[in-house]
Amino acid sequence: MADGSLPGGPPPEPGADRCPTGIEALDNILGGGFPRGHLVLVAGSVGTGKTTLTLEFLVRGAERGEHSLFLSVTEASSKLRQNLSTFEFFRPELVSSGRLVFVDIPVVYEKLGLDHEEFTLEEIDLLIRSIQGLVSELKISRLVIDSLTSVCYRIRREERIRDFMLKLSQVLADLNCTTLLVSEIGQTSARFSLHGVEEAIVDGVILLGNTRRQGDIIRVLQIIKMRGTSHSRAQYVVELTPIGLLMAPHLKGGQQEGG
Amino acid sequence: MANLAGDAVLGIPELDRDLTASLPPGWLGLLVGSASSATSLFAKQFAHAGLGSSPVLYYSVYESPTDVERAFRDFGWDPAGLKVVNLAEEYYQRVLLRDLEISRLRERGLTYSEVAGVPVSVSAPRTFNLTSRVLADLGALDSPFRLVLDSLDFLLEILEPEAVLTVARQVRHRAQTLGGMALLSIQGDIHERRTTGLLEDMADLVIELQAVPNSGGYEHRIAISKIRNHPERSRIAPVVVTATGLGLVDTIAGATNSPRA
Repeated sequence: MADGSLPGGPPPEPGADRCPTGIEALDNILGGGFPRGHLVLVAGSVGTGKTTLTLEFLVRGAERGEHSLFLSVTEASSKLRQNLSTFEFFRPELVSSGRLVFVDIPVVYEKLGLDHEEFTLEEIDLLIRSIQGLVSELKISRLVIDSLTSVCYRIRREERIRDFMLKLSQVLADLNCTTLLVSEIGQTSARFSLHGVEEAIVDGVILLGNTRRQGDIIRVLQIIKMRGTSHSRAQYVVELTPIGLLMAPHLKGGQQEGG
Repeated sequence: MANLAGDAVLGIPELDRDLTASLPPGWLGLLVGSASSATSLFAKQFAHAGLGSSPVLYYSVYESPTDVERAFRDFGWDPAGLKVVNLAEEYYQRVLLRDLEISRLRERGLTYSEVAGVPVSVSAPRTFNLTSRVLADLGALDSPFRLVLDSLDFLLEILEPEAVLTVARQVRHRAQTLGGMALLSIQGDIHERRTTGLLEDMADLVIELQAVPNSGGYEHRIAISKIRNHPERSRIAPVVVTATGLGLVDTIAGATNSPRA
């Protein structure tokens, strides 16, 4: 991605195995990508590019021969695949070869009898075991759950969400699976997740938002937290293009923030 | 037994005369029985009595449509036109069978092949709304009908009593509106008195079937314990099972009150 490169990113930290996002500018900022096996929250309000970023992360991984899994809660995966076909970086054979896999979480809920409003402790464990099983069976090294917010709506209680996050983090780290969890937040939210406990447990937080500049609304990205990585906390302008997500430093002046 | 459509109410001519004169065009009947009291046979005879003159819906919980039709033929009744719905089978297919599959997957773990390519839109609801199931059939009717639900015991096993009472009320309302005859069977003495009491109160006709052990088997009795507005027509009479169904003992020449040969 020629336009997306940003100079001056940190060198990878010694001994840290990186999972490149394939988004060149983001990899530069992260020193080569996310630390492998990390759990990263991708937070943002509606239309900020969360799903696109996470899909590109999976597609770029699949292109490298890694197995990628998208667990969709809010949107039918058939629709997501249709949307993906508009991007030049997507090739259908990634799906047909099994390197890029989509699973609709509502189908998992239905199969396991989890199609009710609030999960019990036993059912939370069951959901974690099921995700662990799929990741293990398909040898998944990149996982996206879109969205964590929808899953947490059914867990509801903060202490149970904390337990869910800790266990999920542990099992995915054991499998060395790098995971992006999409978090839906309001434009003016002071938190990066539904309850706030999620962001405390994850290894990283990427915030996507909208900002007004000279009458236009532009998308911006900011890395809030990334354990094991020295990173800039500056805002970057994001552009969603047919060739993927492009980033450039955000030159400030006369703006109103949101997201 | 000939098709008794027309004046036939229960398919027992001696009782039908009284009932035809007493009951309104649309009514709800409650059939209270016990083991060996011939409740299911009585329910089938009632259903048969309406064939040929009106649509007849027979909701069964223990018998398949084939079993019901076979029982009809055993007594020389032609089941043509009878619509049999096995509620227990639908419940089994839509709820219990699914629960078994869920238990299996929960125990063994989910594999990708079980979720791959399954569209969200075709996921089946896990609940089985019996009320909706029955009302959907009733809603499709636009003329006098005959309905049998044998038995309410199954509904009371899986639904709250209030929900079962609601089903009964809706069936009664539909019967009143369209001039239909509906008979709901229930086992006596196994449910809360409040529930059976409310059902009896709701019903325009309450029939009790009794099987009293005697030296040779059972003596069967029928008790018309309630005909709305006509308490003077209540009666108890011995019945016998003949080759053509249930009949009153005192009107069947040479009848012995024992199981039919």
